[in-house]
Amino acid sequence: MPTQAGLEPNPQPRLLRALTAVTALGFLATLYLGLFAAGTDIEQGQIQRIFYIHMPSFFGAFTAFGGTVIGGILYLARKQDAWDRIALAGVEVGLAFSLINLLTGAIWARPIWNTWWTWDPRLTSAAVMCLIYAAYLMLRAGIDDISRKRNFMSVYGIFSFVSVLTTLFIIRIVPETIHPVIVGASPQNAQGSFEATSGVFMALAPSMLLWLTLMPITLMWHRYRLETRKEAIDRLKFQALSD
Amino acid sequence: MMIPKQVATILLCLLLIGGGASANGEQRTVPYYRSGAFNAPILGGWANESNANLAQFELAEAQATIRTSLVSAADGLAAARGELSDLLGLDINQPVYDEKVNLADGTWRVLVFDLDEATTASVMTRRNETDFAVITFVERNPAARTAMLAITQADDSWDEADPEIALAAEALAGIGLEQLDSAEVTDMPSGSWRVFRQPALTVMGMVFGNESYVALQEGEAGELAALADAWNRTLLGFFITPDNSLYLALGLAVTFAILGTLVLGHFWRLRSLEKDLTLLNELGEAADA
Repeated sequence: MPTQAGLEPNPQPRLLRALTAVTALGFLATLYLGLFAAGTDIEQGQIQRIFYIHMPSFFGAFTAFGGTVIGGILYLARKQDAWDRIALAGVEVGLAFSLINLLTGAIWARPIWNTWWTWDPRLTSAAVMCLIYAAYLMLRAGIDDISRKRNFMSVYGIFSFVSVLTTLFIIRIVPETIHPVIVGASPQNAQGSFEATSGVFMALAPSMLLWLTLMPITLMWHRYRLETRKEAIDRLKFQALSD
Repeated sequence: MMIPKQVATILLCLLLIGGGASANGEQRTVPYYRSGAFNAPILGGWANESNANLAQFELAEAQATIRTSLVSAADGLAAARGELSDLLGLDINQPVYDEKVNLADGTWRVLVFDLDEATTASVMTRRNETDFAVITFVERNPAARTAMLAITQADDSWDEADPEIALAAEALAGIGLEQLDSAEVTDMPSGSWRVFRQPALTVMGMVFGNESYVALQEGEAGELAALADAWNRTLLGFFITPDNSLYLALGLAVTFAILGTLVLGHFWRLRSLEKDLTLLNELGEAADA
């Protein structure tokens, strides 16, 4: 039977430790910018500050789900397990970010639209996107054959990205939306938009940068390492049972 | 070559310097009346007659008043009549127009009253817990009859308020849209309005959300565009929740809860794996022994 000595020790790389530190500090710094440094919107009041999380979290999900697409394509092309692990990490991190986006949006809508939810095209597509990626995790847990699971989930992960693109572009395509656009002109029906003044941009830009790059990359890297460890230990368990 | 810690420090500094540089200052300069119970935009060029309980603005040259308040009443009609009675000191008759419209912040009752030969009032009311929010437009010009409406769009035209302009003209002036001259467009702070004219009638409409906002004036008084713009800025700028800090706190709590669940879940799973590994080792050692 293999012992712990048979499993390679797996300390965190220095770069990951540095990334983790920067991400954590950057998260606190962008929160400070959004909550304290940026001015208060005179129409929407304090709740407007939720946009410094709401909008960047969607773009963080975009990066993470983009990682799932890349992981899926490269797994199908090269059949290397590592790419499948990246795809899985992308879904878990992206789903968490999507939920933050969805829930903070609903919380903003309550005082501004006076409703937690409305079946607006973008809200609906964002909810469908969350359900599609939640289904990814459920389906993945339900397939026993590892090779079949990896192939199927790679294809699923690639096609699921359509829901992300739909959510991103739907308010530019469908005019029947009340969801405001922060960058560029809002649809005519948009309700609750605010001016993206320099004050907004200077608080939003660092937050966007953090959520778009450091947060998904750091969290996905940690998740990737966890999955690698899990697969190694699962192999040991299987071996132990075989012995 | 720089070590990761140095890279991290530089990245963090750039993030803070870039973000903190000019993130200060108010993002809007629109002044607001805040009663503690609701907010309403202060109308530039109108005399501000607001007090602690209500926002009220007067435009003397148009003999028009816009008032926003929260009142206790049995229903929307009673709230509207009570408010008009308080404002004008008149006996309030039955409305000549009484419809409902679903705006993004709830269902509003839209009422128009012809009070006497000079006075017309348009009132929108919405229930707010135990009270009613009442937004009132009163015009006392003997030379004109002016009304303001919000109407749910009948079709998916989205960019033109023509069907609702026709509806308002028919309901309040008994005139079909075909009897009015072709439309022109007037751009105002509240949006782009399509304007239909006849010698003694002007009807203008603007689409916002799923609704059309329509202003109608019979007579030659003029000022309709300015009145419609002021009314719409009041209506669209009105909101009941003046302090929404608790919603912000809830949003932050949700964010931390989800990120915390993700990170703690990671540690929990890692711990479980290490326990499994320890057990496997112990079993291996037992088997070796």
